[in-house]
Amino acid sequence: MKKEPLSPESRDPAFKEQVLKTPAGEKIQTCMQCGICAGSCPVSHEMDHSPRELVRMVQLGLKREVLSSNTIWICTTCFSCSVRCPRGIHPTELMEMLKPIAIAEGIRNKNIKFDNVFSDVIKNNGRASEFLLISKYSLTEPGMINQLPFGLSMMAKGKIPLSIDRMENTRELDAIFKLGEKTGEPKKESKETKEKDKQPEQTKPEENEIAEGEAKK
Amino acid sequence: MKYSYYPGCAQHGTAVDYRISVEAVFGRLGIELEEIKNWNCCGALHVPDRTVKTALCARTLASAKGLDMATPCNLCYSNLMRTNTALQDNVLRTMVNEALTEKYDGNTKPKHLLEVIVKDLGLPKLMEFVKQPLKIKAVPYYGCLLTRPENNFDSPEDPKSLDNLISSLGAEPVKYYYKTKCCAGPILITNEDLALGLAKELLAMAKETGADCIVVTCPMCHLQLDAKQKAVEAKFNIKIDLPIIYFTQLMGLAMGFDPKELGLSRHLVPTDKLIAKIGGK
Repeated sequence: MKKEPLSPESRDPAFKEQVLKTPAGEKIQTCMQCGICAGSCPVSHEMDHSPRELVRMVQLGLKREVLSSNTIWICTTCFSCSVRCPRGIHPTELMEMLKPIAIAEGIRNKNIKFDNVFSDVIKNNGRASEFLLISKYSLTEPGMINQLPFGLSMMAKGKIPLSIDRMENTRELDAIFKLGEKTGEPKKESKETKEKDKQPEQTKPEENEIAEGEAKK
Repeated sequence: MKYSYYPGCAQHGTAVDYRISVEAVFGRLGIELEEIKNWNCCGALHVPDRTVKTALCARTLASAKGLDMATPCNLCYSNLMRTNTALQDNVLRTMVNEALTEKYDGNTKPKHLLEVIVKDLGLPKLMEFVKQPLKIKAVPYYGCLLTRPENNFDSPEDPKSLDNLISSLGAEPVKYYYKTKCCAGPILITNEDLALGLAKELLAMAKETGADCIVVTCPMCHLQLDAKQKAVEAKFNIKIDLPIIYFTQLMGLAMGFDPKELGLSRHLVPTDKLIAKIGGK
């Protein structure tokens, strides 16, 4: 994987501030570069910059490098890094938050094309019909023609219906999608929400015991 | 037991087999799943605007009518859980509610169908419905979004609920170190090579355990491991031939349903050997 050298000239403090004030960016400054995120990531070997590096790059305000890296698009959103980070940073959420910024900055790639098709299908129909998604995406990605035999095998099993699944009434969707245009940036959550976020309830110990007893039979 | 039911888009498409088995099994268990009217997509992982996605999920959560909201899909479950946590924030909730006809009060509890079975119904109760204990070995595969980033019923690092469910049906859950490793479903369309590589790791490791099938809880995982299994075999020149079964189908087999009533003939990887081993038709 070819990595672009990081140059201090490309530092952009405004970008750094923009990221740090979002819920996902709040704890970025506390990163100690332990690398558990990169070690947990199932696809870091394919990334231009590992999640660990990306966090450091945000700290440095390297806007161009961050937004043009393939890292934010290769992320499978599996949250392995997020549940393991000892500092409570959520790299997955960071990637999600960087996507709209990259789009707004004019970055273009396959993933954005697909996300655009997906968003349009949802905006117009309310539901993701596979047939509609794939046919619309194929118009922008001619390579998708290779997937035709696969598509047909799915159709033969009744798994890709030709009828378009849609909501009976899509009126509310306009207002929902307008919300995005209005707000642009994700809003910062309150302290109270953060505390709750940190401590997801676990299975109660007594239930675990019963369950494990059964497992051993 | 009654739940407000959010099926999610896949149930009307690629996961039609899952839907058939959910209807059969939950019907017999007497668990009522009342599908919410005019439901919308949760935004999956492909609506980049976080506020829009939050509002899409808030609209869903608002339609629960005071019931807990059950969903069969890991992705929908994860989105509903995260949104619900975020919407405990009054400022965000008020802003999102502006776009909604039915306002969300922040009080709906999202639950995955697996949680409904292991936590609400309870495995001892489920065992009363088992007619044909399954003498097979099964890989419990949880995937990512069932337990991460948050859930209310299992550990995100070493979950046990699906293992325990498999045991209670008379089958043996094998040790599987990749039980929560990502299948790469979300990047299948845009980065197929990488996605198939991850699926191959999961499938090859599962094959090594000597199990008869992999049990899944998510339509995306099923798509990757079942529908794309042939592509994995071709790309890496290996033979896997491992049926991928939804946990509801496994329950149905143990409860004595005919495989046809569980949508098992709709899989791309044939399930007949597995069915024969279990002793079904």
